[in-house]
Amino acid sequence: MDYLLGFSILLAFQLLGALIHRVGVPIPGGVLGLMLFYLAMSAGLVKIKWVERTANLLLRHMVLLFVPLTVGLMEMGPVLSKQAVAITASLLVSLTAVMLTTGLLGQWLLPTTATELAVEQKDPAIEAGEVAP
Amino acid sequence: MNLAEWVRNPFFSIALTLAAYAPAIALHRRWRWIPPIVAACLPIVAVLLLFHEPYAAYNEGGSYITWMLGPATVALAVPMYRHGVALRPSLPKLALIVLAGSVVGMVTAGGTAWLLGAPLPVVMSTVPKSVTTPIAIEVCRELKGIPQITIALVILAGVLGASFGPPLLRLAGVRDDRAIGAAIGTASHGVGTASLVRHSELQASVSSWAMAAAGVFTSLLAALLALFLR
Repeated sequence: MDYLLGFSILLAFQLLGALIHRVGVPIPGGVLGLMLFYLAMSAGLVKIKWVERTANLLLRHMVLLFVPLTVGLMEMGPVLSKQAVAITASLLVSLTAVMLTTGLLGQWLLPTTATELAVEQKDPAIEAGEVAP
Repeated sequence: MNLAEWVRNPFFSIALTLAAYAPAIALHRRWRWIPPIVAACLPIVAVLLLFHEPYAAYNEGGSYITWMLGPATVALAVPMYRHGVALRPSLPKLALIVLAGSVVGMVTAGGTAWLLGAPLPVVMSTVPKSVTTPIAIEVCRELKGIPQITIALVILAGVLGASFGPPLLRLAGVRDDRAIGAAIGTASHGVGTASLVRHSELQASVSSWAMAAAGVFTSLLAALLALFLR
């Protein structure tokens, strides 16, 4: 399917999400768009093949999209160096905590589920090791 | 026409960004340990410093690129849906696990920074650090944090989690492929997910779903947090 159709669909959901955000829902418009888009695919209103190519392109090059914001770190020097200890500690403590909570809960809860369907589809973006942070 | 006008021209910023991004990706393909985001940003910063241009001048054009993060966030629904279909039998439990991980991530990140005396905007910038960049930025804005700090933390959480997450989980006795995938996806988003592909398809698939789910849960929880703070 054409890139333009996929992009229009993504923009439509983004716009819908932004609109709902604007009327006072405190969830980011992009996330609202994501949720509505997920529901639309589940309901069969939008076919995954209409958007797949555009979505993969955007996700593959997501790093490009946050280059301009990251360049802004060049003017953050003073804040960063003053708060370096708090920021670093927060990162290390939280990273370990999330990893262990999720992993141990998973180890405890998941093996009781019925045997999983073999996951056969491969995600081309993940395959290429090109998934953005 | 002077140089400042050139840099301020949106087309110059966009061209400069693309010109820095393409070689950064090539470098990353050749040497995997080079993070493309760092390789792309350094030349841009160098150009700006060289011509004594402030960030604001560059960002007039840069903001057009940032704007594209919106559709990219919506696009995350595609891998989430695709992997969700394959993982359907364990989705309710997976959702619960990822939700618990997201709560712990937000509380421990914000809590640690707060206990160490960081000012509120810095504390709020650490809260969404586990989730994928476009969502983390939006959540950070909702919480009145500083997006640049969030981005730096998100990238570090990805890189550190991808390298030290699997050995840490092994040490803790986590062996189930789905549990490992859920942990890496919730803590280290796309960077962690990409690092799992070489080990196990199932791990990577669960991780990919968990990364999108963690983004959604964190946004919802942050909305509650924002209500409390008002």
